Amino acid sequence: MDEELEIETLDPREDVRGAAEVKELLRASGLDVETDIQVFVVARNQRRIVACAGLAEDVVKCVAIAAEHRGSLLALKLMNEIHHLAMKRGQSHLFLYTKPCNVTLFEGCGFHKLVEVLGNACLMENTPVGIKDYCDSLKAFRQPGRRIGCVVLNANPFTLGHLHLVRQALRKCDWLHVFVVAEDASAISYADRLDLVRAGLAGIKRLTVHGGSRYLISKATFPSYFIKDACVVEACSTAIDLLMFRRYIAPALGITHRFIGNEPFCRLTRKYNEDMFEWLENVSEEGQLVHVVEIPRLEVAGRAVSAGEVRRLLARGDFVTMASLVPPTTLACLRAKYRFRAQPQADCRASEIIEVE
Amino acid sequence: MHIKKEAICGTLESNDLLVKVVPFGGLQVSISSEVMRQFGARIREVVDETLKQMNVSQGKIVIEDKGALDCAIRARVQAAVLRGCECEELDWSVL
Repeated sequence: MDEELEIETLDPREDVRGAAEVKELLRASGLDVETDIQVFVVARNQRRIVACAGLAEDVVKCVAIAAEHRGSLLALKLMNEIHHLAMKRGQSHLFLYTKPCNVTLFEGCGFHKLVEVLGNACLMENTPVGIKDYCDSLKAFRQPGRRIGCVVLNANPFTLGHLHLVRQALRKCDWLHVFVVAEDASAISYADRLDLVRAGLAGIKRLTVHGGSRYLISKATFPSYFIKDACVVEACSTAIDLLMFRRYIAPALGITHRFIGNEPFCRLTRKYNEDMFEWLENVSEEGQLVHVVEIPRLEVAGRAVSAGEVRRLLARGDFVTMASLVPPTTLACLRAKYRFRAQPQADCRASEIIEVE
Repeated sequence: MHIKKEAICGTLESNDLLVKVVPFGGLQVSISSEVMRQFGARIREVVDETLKQMNVSQGKIVIEDKGALDCAIRARVQAAVLRGCECEELDWSVL
């Protein structure tokens, strides 16, 4: 049977017929097509698609094999092709989403399990040392203290609200680790966001600013956060990211508390905040228990400060109003580099701030 | 030799192996194998020998083995390293 199989790639945007066939195959396996998949590897038997695996940048998902072809070595062939295809596209470090029952199958294809949302989904990566090396690199930044805090910011861009959150958090802990979301999917580039956070927090003692990683609020750990047209937030879409934090990042740095700004505007961020209590504080989950502390937002002139509002002001070119919402360093950067670039954004989500808007 | 860029070589088919090399400060080798218990030590030996022959001192080498023979392991590691080092001129006597 193997001889009759042809492995090829399929661009779901160009090959409409192929895409429909893939969709049918996925549905038969109880999976949906995800909109961010750029390319599929498919196996055809007499021109009929009998297996597929999707690639969205560095994430492998939507892997399905027709029932009558399971138990052959088709999964290996597919994953082999995915590895080489991803490499050609510049990705050697891959992540994979699958159901927990298929973990063993993918372990045979070079993937290693990171976390599992019980009975629902698993995140794996294609190296046995990826997360370990990352945690080892974090351990160098461990600080002594009983209460070690963490905030994760998208800081798109850094506002007085972020500064307020950091200051309030510092009052409640001995040391604070500040992470900046590394995914370059926001209005303000990652390099600028990181610079602005560093500049805005310069001179404040007892804190470390860290760049982000694939392991913390990225398209790998939290894809739905970055998919602009996904209005429905599935129940477990936040869980993988939060479990990664709890199982790997928090223990590496000895983090005991995670601080978040309350979220009056964005539904997805609010959901992420709510889920945080469940996944980080629940005693029955594996990994270090992390207390979640919600801090009320800074208000200026009776309104909660939000990065979304700052971006709207940027789109209008209203730097005078903006000056009351952001530190001088942010104002100067936006004036110099983003003045004519910003587009008003209709929805609050995709390029939004996580913990504090 | 230093690994300068990410490179990949091999397959996940039976009797073969997939070798990935990535730039890295030190030298780090990790091996997963279907036959780790029986042949893990020997695989490690072949990989280390090959890297030493090629004078590789920096890079992350990740190996997913499917029961390959020594000669296959050697060849795959060599090819991945040469790709990762962007090596144009080969010293065949070393290989």
